Amino acid sequence: MTERPARPGVFGAAAALFRKDLLSEWRTRVSTNALLLFAFAVLVLVGYAVGPASLSPEDRPTVHSVLLWIVLFFSAMTGLARAFVKEEDAGTAAALRLAAPPPAVLLGKLLSNLALLFVVTLFVVPVFLAMMSFELKSPALFLLLLLFGNLGLASACTFTAAIVAKASAKGTMFAVLAVPLLLPPLVGAVMGTRVAATETELSAGLDFVRLLVAYDGVVTTAAFLLFDAVWRE
Amino acid sequence: MDLVAENLTRSFGRRRVVGPLSFRVAPGRVLGVAGPNGSGKTTLVRTLAGLIRPTTGGVFLEDGDGRRSPRDAADAIGWVAPDLSLYGELTARENLQFFAKLHGRPAAPAWADEAIAGVGLDPARIAATPLHALSTGQRQRIKLVYATLHHPAVLFLDEPSSNLDDAGRAVVARVVAEQRTRGVAVVASNDAGDLALADERVTL
Repeated sequence: MTERPARPGVFGAAAALFRKDLLSEWRTRVSTNALLLFAFAVLVLVGYAVGPASLSPEDRPTVHSVLLWIVLFFSAMTGLARAFVKEEDAGTAAALRLAAPPPAVLLGKLLSNLALLFVVTLFVVPVFLAMMSFELKSPALFLLLLLFGNLGLASACTFTAAIVAKASAKGTMFAVLAVPLLLPPLVGAVMGTRVAATETELSAGLDFVRLLVAYDGVVTTAAFLLFDAVWRE
Repeated sequence: MDLVAENLTRSFGRRRVVGPLSFRVAPGRVLGVAGPNGSGKTTLVRTLAGLIRPTTGGVFLEDGDGRRSPRDAADAIGWVAPDLSLYGELTARENLQFFAKLHGRPAAPAWADEAIAGVGLDPARIAATPLHALSTGQRQRIKLVYATLHHPAVLFLDEPSSNLDDAGRAVVARVVAEQRTRGVAVVASNDAGDLALADERVTL
Protein backbone atom coordinates (compact mmCIF):
# COMPACT_ATOMS: atom_id res chain seq x y z
CA MET A 1 0.00 0.00 0.00
CA THR A 2 1.33 3.46 -0.91
CA GLU A 3 2.45 5.69 1.95
CA ARG A 4 0.40 8.86 2.23
CA PRO A 5 2.32 12.11 2.78
CA ALA A 6 1.91 13.89 6.13
CA ARG A 7 -0.09 17.09 5.91
CA PRO A 8 1.64 20.38 6.73
CA GLY A 9 0.68 22.18 9.92
CA VAL A 10 -1.88 24.95 10.15
CA PHE A 11 0.67 27.67 9.40
CA GLY A 12 2.11 25.87 6.37
CA ALA A 13 -1.34 25.29 4.89
CA ALA A 14 -2.43 28.86 5.70
CA ALA A 15 0.69 30.21 3.97
CA ALA A 16 -0.09 28.14 0.86
CA LEU A 17 -3.67 29.41 0.84
CA PHE A 18 -2.50 33.00 1.36
CA ARG A 19 -0.12 32.73 -1.61
CA LYS A 20 -2.86 31.16 -3.74
CA ASP A 21 -5.29 33.97 -2.86
CA LEU A 22 -2.71 36.64 -3.66
CA LEU A 23 -1.99 35.01 -7.01
CA SER A 24 -5.73 34.71 -7.79
CA GLU A 25 -6.29 38.33 -6.82
CA TRP A 26 -3.31 39.46 -8.89
CA ARG A 27 -4.76 37.66 -11.93
CA THR A 28 -8.38 38.85 -11.52
CA ARG A 29 -8.06 42.01 -9.36
CA VAL A 30 -11.78 41.76 -8.58
CA SER A 31 -11.58 42.65 -4.88
CA THR A 32 -8.75 45.17 -5.26
CA ASN A 33 -10.55 47.05 -8.01
CA ALA A 34 -13.83 47.08 -6.06
CA LEU A 35 -12.16 48.37 -2.91
CA LEU A 36 -9.98 50.97 -4.61
CA LEU A 37 -12.76 52.27 -6.86
CA PHE A 38 -15.08 52.60 -3.89
CA ALA A 39 -12.39 54.31 -1.80
CA PHE A 40 -11.55 56.66 -4.67
CA ALA A 41 -15.20 57.60 -5.23
CA VAL A 42 -15.78 58.31 -1.53
CA LEU A 43 -12.55 60.32 -1.26
CA VAL A 44 -13.56 62.50 -4.18
CA LEU A 45 -17.05 63.03 -2.74
CA VAL A 46 -15.69 63.87 0.70
CA GLY A 47 -13.12 66.20 -0.84
CA TYR A 48 -15.78 68.13 -2.75
CA ALA A 49 -18.41 68.13 -0.02
CA VAL A 50 -16.27 68.86 3.03
CA GLY A 51 -12.85 69.94 1.84
CA PRO A 52 -10.07 71.19 4.09
CA ALA A 53 -11.35 74.74 4.63
CA SER A 54 -15.07 74.37 5.19
CA LEU A 55 -14.76 73.21 8.78
CA SER A 56 -13.87 75.25 11.83
CA PRO A 57 -10.46 74.29 13.30
CA GLU A 58 -12.04 72.81 16.45
CA ASP A 59 -14.38 70.56 14.43
CA ARG A 60 -11.76 69.25 12.05
CA PRO A 61 -10.21 66.47 14.18
CA THR A 62 -13.59 64.90 14.93
CA VAL A 63 -15.07 65.18 11.44
CA HIS A 64 -11.88 64.11 9.69
CA SER A 65 -11.50 61.09 11.99
CA VAL A 66 -15.07 60.00 11.33
CA LEU A 67 -14.73 60.45 7.56
CA LEU A 68 -11.45 58.55 7.37
CA TRP A 69 -12.81 55.52 9.18
CA ILE A 70 -16.05 55.64 7.20
CA VAL A 71 -14.01 55.30 4.01
CA LEU A 72 -12.00 52.39 5.44
CA PHE A 73 -15.09 50.71 6.93
CA PHE A 74 -17.20 50.79 3.78
CA SER A 75 -14.24 49.80 1.63
CA ALA A 76 -13.81 46.75 3.85
CA MET A 77 -17.52 45.96 3.56
CA THR A 78 -17.25 46.18 -0.23
CA GLY A 79 -14.36 43.82 -0.84
CA LEU A 80 -13.71 41.54 2.11
CA ALA A 81 -16.96 39.55 1.88
CA ARG A 82 -15.65 37.91 -1.28
CA ALA A 83 -13.11 35.81 0.64
CA PHE A 84 -15.48 32.87 1.04
CA VAL A 85 -18.28 33.86 -1.33
CA LYS A 86 -15.90 33.42 -4.26
CA GLU A 87 -14.96 29.89 -3.14
CA GLU A 88 -18.62 28.86 -2.77
CA ASP A 89 -19.77 30.49 -6.01
CA ALA A 90 -16.90 29.03 -8.05
CA GLY A 91 -17.41 25.51 -6.62
CA THR A 92 -13.91 25.35 -5.15
CA ALA A 93 -14.99 25.34 -1.49
CA ALA A 94 -15.50 21.58 -1.35
CA ALA A 95 -12.01 20.95 -2.74
CA LEU A 96 -10.62 23.24 -0.06
CA ARG A 97 -12.68 21.55 2.68
CA LEU A 98 -11.12 18.19 1.87
CA ALA A 99 -7.59 19.49 1.39
CA ALA A 100 -7.00 21.94 4.24
CA PRO A 101 -7.77 21.92 7.97
CA PRO A 102 -10.41 24.54 8.91
CA PRO A 103 -8.12 26.72 11.07
CA ALA A 104 -5.68 26.96 8.15
CA VAL A 105 -8.48 28.07 5.83
CA LEU A 106 -9.57 30.80 8.23
CA LEU A 107 -6.00 31.97 8.87
CA GLY A 108 -5.18 32.03 5.15
CA LYS A 109 -8.32 34.00 4.33
CA LEU A 110 -7.72 36.38 7.24
CA LEU A 111 -4.19 37.07 6.00
CA SER A 112 -5.48 37.65 2.46
CA ASN A 113 -8.13 40.10 3.66
CA LEU A 114 -5.63 41.85 5.90
CA ALA A 115 -3.23 42.28 2.98
CA LEU A 116 -6.07 43.66 0.84
CA LEU A 117 -7.12 46.08 3.56
CA PHE A 118 -3.56 47.33 4.02
CA VAL A 119 -3.27 47.96 0.29
CA VAL A 120 -6.44 50.07 0.49
CA THR A 121 -5.15 51.82 3.62
CA LEU A 122 -1.87 52.64 1.87
CA PHE A 123 -3.92 54.27 -0.88
CA VAL A 124 -6.61 55.97 1.21
CA VAL A 125 -4.70 57.38 4.17
CA PRO A 126 -2.02 59.47 2.38
CA VAL A 127 -4.60 60.80 -0.11
CA PHE A 128 -7.04 61.63 2.68
CA LEU A 129 -4.41 63.32 4.86
CA ALA A 130 -3.21 65.43 1.95
CA MET A 131 -6.63 66.24 0.54
CA MET A 132 -8.18 67.25 3.87
CA SER A 133 -5.02 68.88 5.28
CA PHE A 134 -5.50 66.52 8.22
CA GLU A 135 -2.61 67.11 10.63
CA LEU A 136 -1.62 64.42 13.07
CA LYS A 137 0.14 65.40 16.28
CA SER A 138 0.82 61.78 17.25
CA PRO A 139 1.60 59.75 14.09
CA ALA A 140 2.73 56.78 16.21
CA LEU A 141 -0.68 56.57 17.88
CA PHE A 142 -2.37 56.89 14.49
CA LEU A 143 -0.28 54.03 13.06
CA LEU A 144 -1.15 51.79 16.02
CA LEU A 145 -4.84 52.59 15.52
CA LEU A 146 -4.60 51.79 11.82
CA LEU A 147 -2.79 48.50 12.54
CA PHE A 148 -5.19 47.18 15.16
CA GLY A 149 -8.28 48.79 13.60
CA ASN A 150 -7.57 47.07 10.30
CA LEU A 151 -6.93 43.77 12.06
CA GLY A 152 -10.33 44.06 13.73
CA LEU A 153 -12.05 44.96 10.45
CA ALA A 154 -10.36 42.08 8.62
CA SER A 155 -11.02 39.56 11.38
CA ALA A 156 -14.72 40.38 11.81
CA CYS A 157 -15.33 40.67 8.04
CA THR A 158 -13.55 37.37 7.29
CA PHE A 159 -15.56 35.42 9.82
CA THR A 160 -18.82 37.08 8.77
CA ALA A 161 -17.98 36.29 5.14
CA ALA A 162 -17.66 32.61 6.07
CA ILE A 163 -21.09 32.67 7.73
CA VAL A 164 -22.88 34.30 4.78
CA ALA A 165 -21.06 32.45 1.99
CA LYS A 166 -23.81 29.82 1.59
CA ALA A 167 -26.74 32.22 2.10
CA SER A 168 -28.90 33.28 -0.84
CA ALA A 169 -28.94 37.00 0.09
CA LYS A 170 -25.23 37.29 0.79
CA GLY A 171 -24.90 41.08 0.53
CA THR A 172 -27.76 41.84 2.90
CA MET A 173 -26.74 39.13 5.35
CA PHE A 174 -23.15 40.36 5.38
CA ALA A 175 -24.18 43.93 6.19
CA VAL A 176 -26.71 42.85 8.84
CA LEU A 177 -24.14 40.69 10.63
CA ALA A 178 -21.03 42.79 10.14
CA VAL A 179 -22.29 46.26 11.03
CA PRO A 180 -23.16 45.59 14.69
CA LEU A 181 -20.01 43.50 15.05
CA LEU A 182 -17.84 46.33 13.71
CA LEU A 183 -19.36 49.28 15.56
CA PRO A 184 -17.33 48.94 18.80
CA PRO A 185 -13.89 48.98 17.13
CA LEU A 186 -15.00 51.75 14.78
CA VAL A 187 -16.03 53.97 17.67
CA GLY A 188 -12.71 53.27 19.39
CA ALA A 189 -10.73 53.92 16.21
CA VAL A 190 -12.54 57.20 15.50
CA MET A 191 -12.09 58.49 19.05
CA GLY A 192 -8.47 57.40 19.10
CA THR A 193 -7.78 59.10 15.77
CA ARG A 194 -9.26 62.34 17.12
CA VAL A 195 -6.84 62.09 20.04
CA ALA A 196 -3.96 61.45 17.61
CA ALA A 197 -4.91 64.69 15.84
CA THR A 198 -5.04 66.80 19.00
CA GLU A 199 -2.51 65.34 21.48
CA THR A 200 1.21 64.90 20.99
CA GLU A 201 1.65 62.21 23.65
CA LEU A 202 1.17 58.59 22.59
CA SER A 203 -0.07 57.74 26.07
CA ALA A 204 -3.09 60.06 25.66
CA GLY A 205 -4.72 57.60 23.25
CA LEU A 206 -3.40 54.27 24.44
CA ASP A 207 -6.74 53.32 25.98
CA PHE A 208 -8.22 53.24 22.49
CA VAL A 209 -5.36 51.07 21.25
CA ARG A 210 -5.98 48.72 24.19
CA LEU A 211 -9.68 48.61 23.28
CA LEU A 212 -8.83 47.62 19.71
CA VAL A 213 -6.29 45.00 20.84
CA ALA A 214 -8.88 43.48 23.21
CA TYR A 215 -11.54 43.51 20.49
CA ASP A 216 -9.18 41.91 17.98
CA GLY A 217 -8.25 39.22 20.49
CA VAL A 218 -11.85 38.38 21.35
CA VAL A 219 -13.17 38.38 17.78
CA THR A 220 -10.23 36.45 16.34
CA THR A 221 -10.38 33.84 19.12
CA ALA A 222 -14.15 33.46 18.74
CA ALA A 223 -13.72 33.15 14.96
CA PHE A 224 -11.20 30.30 15.33
CA LEU A 225 -13.38 28.53 17.90
CA LEU A 226 -16.54 28.73 15.80
CA PHE A 227 -15.13 28.44 12.30
CA ASP A 228 -15.06 24.65 12.13
CA ALA A 229 -18.85 24.47 12.56
CA VAL A 230 -19.46 27.35 10.13
CA TRP A 231 -17.15 26.02 7.42
CA ARG A 232 -18.15 22.36 7.42
CA GLU A 233 -21.94 22.61 7.86
CA MET B 1 -8.85 1.09 5.69
CA ASP B 2 -12.46 -0.12 5.30
CA LEU B 3 -15.28 2.18 4.27
CA VAL B 4 -18.28 1.40 6.48
CA ALA B 5 -21.85 2.70 6.22
CA GLU B 6 -24.28 1.81 9.01
CA ASN B 7 -28.02 2.44 8.57
CA LEU B 8 -27.11 5.52 6.59
CA THR B 9 -29.88 7.87 5.54
CA ARG B 10 -29.88 11.39 4.17
CA SER B 11 -33.03 13.51 3.91
CA PHE B 12 -33.69 17.04 2.73
CA GLY B 13 -36.61 18.32 4.74
CA ARG B 14 -39.10 15.46 4.84
CA ARG B 15 -37.87 13.93 1.60
CA ARG B 16 -35.52 11.00 2.11
CA VAL B 17 -32.97 10.92 -0.70
CA VAL B 18 -30.68 8.13 0.45
CA GLY B 19 -31.02 4.96 2.49
CA PRO B 20 -31.22 3.32 4.82
CA LEU B 21 -28.00 1.72 3.59
CA SER B 22 -25.44 -0.49 5.30
CA PHE B 23 -22.30 -1.85 3.67
CA ARG B 24 -18.60 -2.39 4.17
CA VAL B 25 -15.98 -2.02 1.44
CA ALA B 26 -12.58 -3.52 2.13
CA PRO B 27 -9.25 -2.21 0.75
CA GLY B 28 -8.64 -3.34 -2.80
CA ARG B 29 -12.34 -3.39 -3.59
CA VAL B 30 -14.39 -1.04 -5.76
CA LEU B 31 -18.01 -0.19 -4.94
CA GLY B 32 -20.27 0.92 -7.78
CA VAL B 33 -23.23 3.19 -7.08
CA ALA B 34 -25.89 2.98 -9.78
CA GLY B 35 -29.28 4.52 -10.26
CA PRO B 36 -31.23 6.82 -12.55
CA ASN B 37 -30.91 10.61 -12.51
CA GLY B 38 -32.20 12.06 -9.25
CA SER B 39 -31.88 8.77 -7.39
CA GLY B 40 -29.38 10.22 -4.89
CA LYS B 41 -26.02 8.95 -6.18
CA THR B 42 -24.28 12.29 -5.76
CA THR B 43 -25.88 12.84 -2.35
CA LEU B 44 -24.68 9.40 -1.24
CA VAL B 45 -21.14 10.06 -2.46
CA ARG B 46 -21.03 13.48 -0.77
CA THR B 47 -22.32 11.93 2.45
CA LEU B 48 -19.75 9.12 2.31
CA ALA B 49 -16.99 11.67 1.66
CA GLY B 50 -18.02 13.73 4.69
CA LEU B 51 -19.11 16.74 2.67
CA ILE B 52 -22.70 16.33 3.91
CA ARG B 53 -23.69 15.10 7.34
CA PRO B 54 -25.92 11.96 7.37
CA THR B 55 -29.43 12.44 8.70
CA THR B 56 -29.28 9.16 10.61
CA GLY B 57 -26.75 6.37 10.84
CA GLY B 58 -23.08 6.85 10.21
CA VAL B 59 -20.12 6.58 7.84
CA PHE B 60 -16.75 5.45 9.13
CA LEU B 61 -13.25 4.80 7.90
CA GLU B 62 -12.09 1.82 9.91
CA ASP B 63 -8.68 0.27 10.34
CA GLY B 64 -6.69 -1.49 13.07
CA ASP B 65 -6.51 1.75 15.06
CA GLY B 66 -10.28 2.17 15.25
CA ARG B 67 -12.83 4.12 13.26
CA ARG B 68 -12.99 7.76 12.28
CA SER B 69 -15.66 9.79 10.57
CA PRO B 70 -14.74 11.03 7.07
CA ARG B 71 -14.71 14.60 8.45
CA ASP B 72 -11.95 13.65 10.86
CA ALA B 73 -10.04 11.82 8.14
CA ALA B 74 -10.34 14.28 5.27
CA ASP B 75 -6.68 13.73 4.33
CA ALA B 76 -7.55 10.08 3.58
CA ILE B 77 -10.23 11.02 1.06
CA GLY B 78 -10.05 11.84 -2.63
CA TRP B 79 -13.09 13.12 -4.50
CA VAL B 80 -13.99 13.95 -8.09
CA ALA B 81 -17.46 15.12 -9.09
CA PRO B 82 -19.13 17.23 -11.75
CA ASP B 83 -19.78 19.99 -9.19
CA LEU B 84 -16.14 20.06 -8.08
CA SER B 85 -14.17 22.97 -9.50
CA LEU B 86 -10.53 23.91 -9.23
CA TYR B 87 -9.27 27.48 -9.60
CA GLY B 88 -9.97 28.69 -13.13
CA GLU B 89 -7.67 31.70 -12.94
CA LEU B 90 -4.70 29.53 -11.95
CA THR B 91 -2.86 27.30 -14.39
CA ALA B 92 -3.14 23.53 -14.23
CA ARG B 93 0.36 23.38 -12.76
CA GLU B 94 -0.39 26.04 -10.13
CA ASN B 95 -3.60 24.25 -9.10
CA LEU B 96 -1.79 20.96 -8.61
CA GLN B 97 1.12 22.61 -6.79
CA PHE B 98 -1.31 24.38 -4.44
CA PHE B 99 -3.21 21.23 -3.51
CA ALA B 100 0.01 19.23 -3.28
CA LYS B 101 1.33 21.73 -0.72
CA LEU B 102 -1.87 21.45 1.30
CA HIS B 103 -1.40 17.68 1.35
CA GLY B 104 2.28 17.88 2.30
CA ARG B 105 3.65 16.65 -1.00
CA PRO B 106 6.74 18.10 -2.63
CA ALA B 107 5.25 20.46 -5.20
CA ALA B 108 7.99 21.18 -7.72
CA PRO B 109 6.87 22.24 -11.21
CA ALA B 110 8.48 19.09 -12.63
CA TRP B 111 6.31 16.93 -10.38
CA ALA B 112 3.16 18.73 -11.53
CA ASP B 113 4.17 18.34 -15.17
CA GLU B 114 4.79 14.64 -14.64
CA ALA B 115 1.35 14.30 -13.02
CA ILE B 116 -0.26 16.11 -15.95
CA ALA B 117 1.50 13.76 -18.38
CA GLY B 118 0.29 10.86 -16.24
CA VAL B 119 -3.33 11.54 -17.21
CA GLY B 120 -2.49 11.69 -20.88
CA LEU B 121 -2.15 15.46 -21.31
CA ASP B 122 0.80 17.25 -22.86
CA PRO B 123 2.44 19.35 -20.10
CA ALA B 124 4.07 21.63 -22.68
CA ARG B 125 0.60 22.70 -23.86
CA ILE B 126 -1.46 22.29 -20.71
CA ALA B 127 0.64 23.04 -17.63
CA ALA B 128 0.92 26.81 -18.02
CA THR B 129 -2.63 27.31 -19.32
CA PRO B 130 -5.25 28.79 -16.97
CA LEU B 131 -7.74 26.11 -16.09
CA HIS B 132 -10.68 28.10 -17.45
CA ALA B 133 -9.06 27.96 -20.90
CA LEU B 134 -8.94 24.15 -20.95
CA SER B 135 -11.69 21.95 -22.36
CA THR B 136 -14.12 20.26 -19.98
CA GLY B 137 -12.47 16.90 -20.64
CA GLN B 138 -8.99 18.27 -19.95
CA ARG B 139 -10.23 19.82 -16.71
CA GLN B 140 -11.77 16.47 -15.75
CA ARG B 141 -8.38 14.81 -16.12
CA ILE B 142 -6.74 17.52 -13.98
CA LYS B 143 -9.42 16.87 -11.37
CA LEU B 144 -8.43 13.20 -11.37
CA VAL B 145 -4.86 14.25 -10.54
CA TYR B 146 -6.15 16.55 -7.79
CA ALA B 147 -8.14 13.70 -6.23
CA THR B 148 -5.29 11.22 -6.18
CA LEU B 149 -2.17 13.32 -5.60
CA HIS B 150 -2.16 12.55 -1.86
CA HIS B 151 -2.69 8.80 -2.30
CA PRO B 152 -6.07 8.70 -0.57
CA ALA B 153 -7.20 5.58 1.26
CA VAL B 154 -10.72 6.11 -0.10
CA LEU B 155 -11.34 7.57 -3.54
CA PHE B 156 -14.81 8.77 -4.59
CA LEU B 157 -15.43 9.13 -8.31
CA ASP B 158 -18.80 10.67 -9.16
CA GLU B 159 -19.48 10.44 -12.90
CA PRO B 160 -15.72 10.11 -13.56
CA SER B 161 -16.03 9.59 -17.31
CA SER B 162 -18.29 12.55 -18.01
CA ASN B 163 -16.89 14.59 -20.90
CA LEU B 164 -14.02 12.15 -21.43
CA ASP B 165 -13.05 10.52 -24.71
CA ASP B 166 -11.90 6.91 -24.97
CA ALA B 167 -8.36 7.80 -23.91
CA GLY B 168 -9.79 9.65 -20.89
CA ARG B 169 -11.91 6.64 -19.98
CA ALA B 170 -8.78 4.53 -20.06
CA VAL B 171 -7.22 7.00 -17.61
CA VAL B 172 -10.20 6.52 -15.28
CA ALA B 173 -9.79 2.75 -15.50
CA ARG B 174 -6.09 3.11 -14.66
CA VAL B 175 -6.83 5.43 -11.72
CA VAL B 176 -9.29 2.88 -10.33
CA ALA B 177 -6.80 0.05 -10.83
CA GLU B 178 -4.12 2.05 -8.97
CA GLN B 179 -6.57 2.82 -6.19
CA ARG B 180 -7.05 -0.91 -5.61
CA THR B 181 -3.41 -1.09 -4.51
CA ARG B 182 -3.86 1.55 -1.81
CA GLY B 183 -7.44 1.33 -0.62
CA VAL B 184 -11.10 1.63 -1.52
CA ALA B 185 -12.73 3.23 -4.56
CA VAL B 186 -16.37 4.22 -4.96
CA VAL B 187 -17.65 4.87 -8.49
CA ALA B 188 -21.06 6.51 -8.89
CA SER B 189 -22.28 6.61 -12.47
CA ASN B 190 -24.91 5.84 -15.05
CA ASP B 191 -22.21 4.80 -17.45
CA ALA B 192 -21.95 1.05 -17.98
CA GLY B 193 -18.20 1.34 -18.58
CA ASP B 194 -17.65 3.10 -15.25
CA LEU B 195 -19.80 0.60 -13.37
CA ALA B 196 -17.96 -2.31 -14.97
CA LEU B 197 -14.91 -1.24 -12.95
CA ALA B 198 -16.74 -2.10 -9.70
CA ASP B 199 -16.63 -5.40 -7.81
CA GLU B 200 -19.89 -4.84 -5.96
CA ARG B 201 -22.80 -2.55 -6.53
CA VAL B 202 -25.37 -0.50 -4.66
CA THR B 203 -28.39 0.42 -6.76
CA LEU B 204 -30.48 3.38 -5.63
